[in-house]
Amino acid sequence: MQCGWPLLGPLQWIRYVNKLVKVKAGKDEEHRGWLLTVDPVSASLVLVNFGEGEGASVQVVMGHAVEEVEVLQEANEEITDRLQASFLPPRNRTRLDP
Amino acid sequence: SIPTSAGSESDAEQLQEEQHARSVLRETFLRCLLSISNKKVQFRMHEKVKVDATFGASDIDVLNFQVSDLHTPIGVQKEALIRCQDVISFTFDV
Repeated sequence: MQCGWPLLGPLQWIRYVNKLVKVKAGKDEEHRGWLLTVDPVSASLVLVNFGEGEGASVQVVMGHAVEEVEVLQEANEEITDRLQASFLPPRNRTRLDP
Repeated sequence: SIPTSAGSESDAEQLQEEQHARSVLRETFLRCLLSISNKKVQFRMHEKVKVDATFGASDIDVLNFQVSDLHTPIGVQKEALIRCQDVISFTFDV
């Protein structure tokens, strides 16, 4: 995906959800992580990297700075569940359909 | 409101699908924002500037972040607003 990321719109963004992506942002930043969501207002990406155990590191890449987004891998069921459970209260866990 | 042109059924369907996608994405993002409050975050800005701060809140259109204890190169700013346009990315742990 070259440039124009903020213009893609929700139907395109949601296709990247639950995928391992590589994001180039600014002049010289590159981030990898599982895409949790894209804010439809600012086009910012939320990337999650699971560490050992429960913890995870989260990167938010601002939509205006995104240069390129590349899909590296699809999530398996375990990672999808873990991703979607990251910020949801236990009572209404719903799955995103990519 | 009255639509300006007679939209076909598939247009309406696609619009609904788009709105659903929008709401799902936004809800997850807002939950994520909620969970960041009071967490230590590191902002990466232009020219490879990195600053640490405690995240407070964002405005709804994600134009500004309110932070506390912003560690700048010339000292610690107790409270600050960061323009999102100046930020490339930020990181935190959960």
